[in-house]
Amino acid sequence: MTKRSGILATVVFSLASLGLAQAPGDKQPSVTMAPVGNVQIRAGAGTSVEMDFRVGSEFHINSHHPKADYLIPTVLKLNPPEQLTVADLKYPAGEEMAFAFSPNEKLSVYSGDFTINAVLKAPANAAAGSYPVKGELRFQACDHSACYPPRSIPVQFQVTVVKK
Amino acid sequence: MKRNALVFVVLVAAILGMLAAGKYLDRTRKHGPLKMVGNVKGVQAPDFDLATLDGRRVKLSDFRGKAVLLNFWATWCPPCKIEMPWFEDMQKQYGKDGLVVLGVAMDDTEAPKIAEFAHEMGVNYQVLLGTDQVSDDYGNVQYLPTTFYVDRNGIIVDKAAGLFSREEIENDIKKILVSSYNPGTAQTSRASVVHSPAPATHAAKAAQ
Repeated sequence: MTKRSGILATVVFSLASLGLAQAPGDKQPSVTMAPVGNVQIRAGAGTSVEMDFRVGSEFHINSHHPKADYLIPTVLKLNPPEQLTVADLKYPAGEEMAFAFSPNEKLSVYSGDFTINAVLKAPANAAAGSYPVKGELRFQACDHSACYPPRSIPVQFQVTVVKK
Repeated sequence: MKRNALVFVVLVAAILGMLAAGKYLDRTRKHGPLKMVGNVKGVQAPDFDLATLDGRRVKLSDFRGKAVLLNFWATWCPPCKIEMPWFEDMQKQYGKDGLVVLGVAMDDTEAPKIAEFAHEMGVNYQVLLGTDQVSDDYGNVQYLPTTFYVDRNGIIVDKAAGLFSREEIENDIKKILVSSYNPGTAQTSRASVVHSPAPATHAAKAAQ
């Protein structure tokens, strides 16, 4: 009985301590990218690649087209190998939201999950093979009362070029 | 018996902890984040030597004898924009009483762009160009806005991480304004050891 009480007390105390330890700014904003499945392109053609991102709970990031010049947009930069080109990048529209810090000014933001589509093309003379596409997603996050400096996360997926 | 007493003490501590956590969370829901006072309150504010938008150099120790509101902000930070007009008003209202508002811009951009933004916002207080060093000295300031309230002796009286209400800001200003200047108690901070101690300037002399 005494041992059980001790364990219970320890658990309760630990939970209480955790609650107290969460101070503003302690939780860093996170944006993560889901793994991209197998991408295959036929030489001379193109394909669309969906990149799924998730913004950590309690945070939002500016959309690609924020509503003011002073805001830092979310930007995806891809650096494909010579055998591939990025023909287009399609960003989702931002969600228009008002926050406690901007009750009269709605901001265009991404929160939760969002997807960016990249259209990749392989020239007709592209050599067959597997190629890495690397890049980065740059974003600037805020929570309900403050903002964090802009950050970048790496983006990477593999593309297989096959003959016509 | 002794074990039971120990368990009782631990349980009481846990309950008190939960009550405190509940109070914190309740306050956070209603008013935004609590101030992080535990680790900085009563600490000597690190001195710095930062450039102004017009190329001058400013040290915190230049303002010894003044009550300093030190606000870390950035142009890309919407909550920071909310506070700026309040700081302008406070500077007007309490400047005669010895308040000095210093805005430390943490932008990774050129001074002219920051100056343009500050001009558009009607900023009437000094804006300094922040550095990684000053951010580190003040606890790696990443959460903007963050404001330090520094009394006339260079002691941090309070720290506000995130956006606070105008009333709360004004209350904190009143706390640093009531402090009296005691030149003998002013200490040398870590940063001012690195950068050689600043000679008394006209600002400090005027305050004496």
